Amino acid sequence: MAAGWTVALAAVESAAAGAPPIGGAPAIIGDAADWEFVFRNADYLGVGVLLTVGLTVASILLGFVVGFPAGAVEVYGGGYLKRAVNAAGVVLRGTPIVVILIVMYFVVGVPQINLGVVSISSAVTAGILGLGLRSAAYQSQIFRASLASVDAGQLEAGRSIGLSRLEAVRYVVVPQALRRSIPGFQNEFTIVLKDTSIVFAIGLAELLTRGYDLFSERTTAVLEVILFISAIYFVLTFTTNRALDYLGDYYAIPEGESA
Amino acid sequence: MSDDGFLRVADVSKWYGDEQVLHDVSFEMDRGDVTVLIGPSGSGKSTMLRCVNRLAEAQEGSILLDGEEVLSPDLDVNDLRREVGMVFQGFNLFAHLTAVGNVALGPRRVLGLSEAAARERAEAQLERVGLGDQFDSYPAELSGGQQQRVGIARALAMEPKLLLFDEPTSALDPELIGEVLEVMHGLVDEGMTMLVVTHEMSFAREVADEIVFLDDGRVVERGPPDQLFERPERERTGRFLERIASHD
Repeated sequence: MAAGWTVALAAVESAAAGAPPIGGAPAIIGDAADWEFVFRNADYLGVGVLLTVGLTVASILLGFVVGFPAGAVEVYGGGYLKRAVNAAGVVLRGTPIVVILIVMYFVVGVPQINLGVVSISSAVTAGILGLGLRSAAYQSQIFRASLASVDAGQLEAGRSIGLSRLEAVRYVVVPQALRRSIPGFQNEFTIVLKDTSIVFAIGLAELLTRGYDLFSERTTAVLEVILFISAIYFVLTFTTNRALDYLGDYYAIPEGESA
Repeated sequence: MSDDGFLRVADVSKWYGDEQVLHDVSFEMDRGDVTVLIGPSGSGKSTMLRCVNRLAEAQEGSILLDGEEVLSPDLDVNDLRREVGMVFQGFNLFAHLTAVGNVALGPRRVLGLSEAAARERAEAQLERVGLGDQFDSYPAELSGGQQQRVGIARALAMEPKLLLFDEPTSALDPELIGEVLEVMHGLVDEGMTMLVVTHEMSFAREVADEIVFLDDGRVVERGPPDQLFERPERERTGRFLERIASHD
């Protein structure tokens, strides 16, 4: 990646200085390179970045709000509720995301949402629901595993001082389970971020789709556009993962297992 | 003995599936008594102990605590456990909380004390078990003996009227057992009512008002320590005590 940036910057500088063409060089540097085309369309890609980030954040949040209780039900629940949650998870995890998105948009037909200042188009709503519910299905498994990994003696000790089952789970098990969820959650975040590109299936143009539009228009700049977009994805995933690393370190239990 | 019938365990039976693990177990304790349950592993003594605070459910019999039926389906188990503390073999300290956090959780969330009052109470209990210098240590930073003393402080912070000890020293290195027994001795001196499962025979002999010997889920023999250790009536009791003694 670093090498890619160096090349890119060199290319920009040489273009700005009106440097002479470098014969026989790869297309991403020198005169043949089309970095100027990429930067001229930066605002077009920028809108795509906003959509990518917005979809990711909303989907991850929806996935957490639905997925965490779902994971808890799979560990502590019983009866029909547990079976229903389990079945929904199996279906969502077993269905390609393109199909989920198409079902949300064309079959369920979610409406446009008007929040006063902003209105969210029905396609974006469908995208958030599709990505969010699928993420919930995966997040439920992250939390199911981490809740189940907390020693049964912890819950028992909580009950022994008079906490109800729900209180013991909340005050004793969940704080430990959340710490253990961070690595799995980092993976899930990265996957959702990159899978936002699949909303092209319901007509939305986020970062990757906009890049595709650009190099369809100018096929000589394919590599430049792809490299530029990859760099943006990299920055987004890298910074978020580092932030979650920091969160894990901050809440790590001293001398104990690291989160 | 005042014979106030503080705890009356009568004909308690329990099954795990088809296997009966407790057979009509009966014994009584008065307020301030120390009763020690002994017996080979698998004899049901831990299970009996756990039936008293309903961490295990007995299917038959009666357990009266202060006149109230513990086994009643209408009983609120959380109310019961508020008054009956438990110390575990494996400590089971809350791994994500400091020593103070461990001890303060019950007073804070169960008794509804303010944050400051719960902390104050936790610190007092930690002082009581000799851990005044470890308030902010996490369980993983403490030795086994220190962890178990936090476990005792956690139970004490609820101001229980009965304390259950489930093999409190069995998971400890030999050199750490003494500090835990010392704390338990102190509680005996303060008049705490204690039901103890242990293999520490010298401790049992010293502090118990009554020893209950369980084998195969049945009470084989019970009586004051002198009688039980010196003149066991049953052959099985004698054999068990000999076996234990040869390991001491």
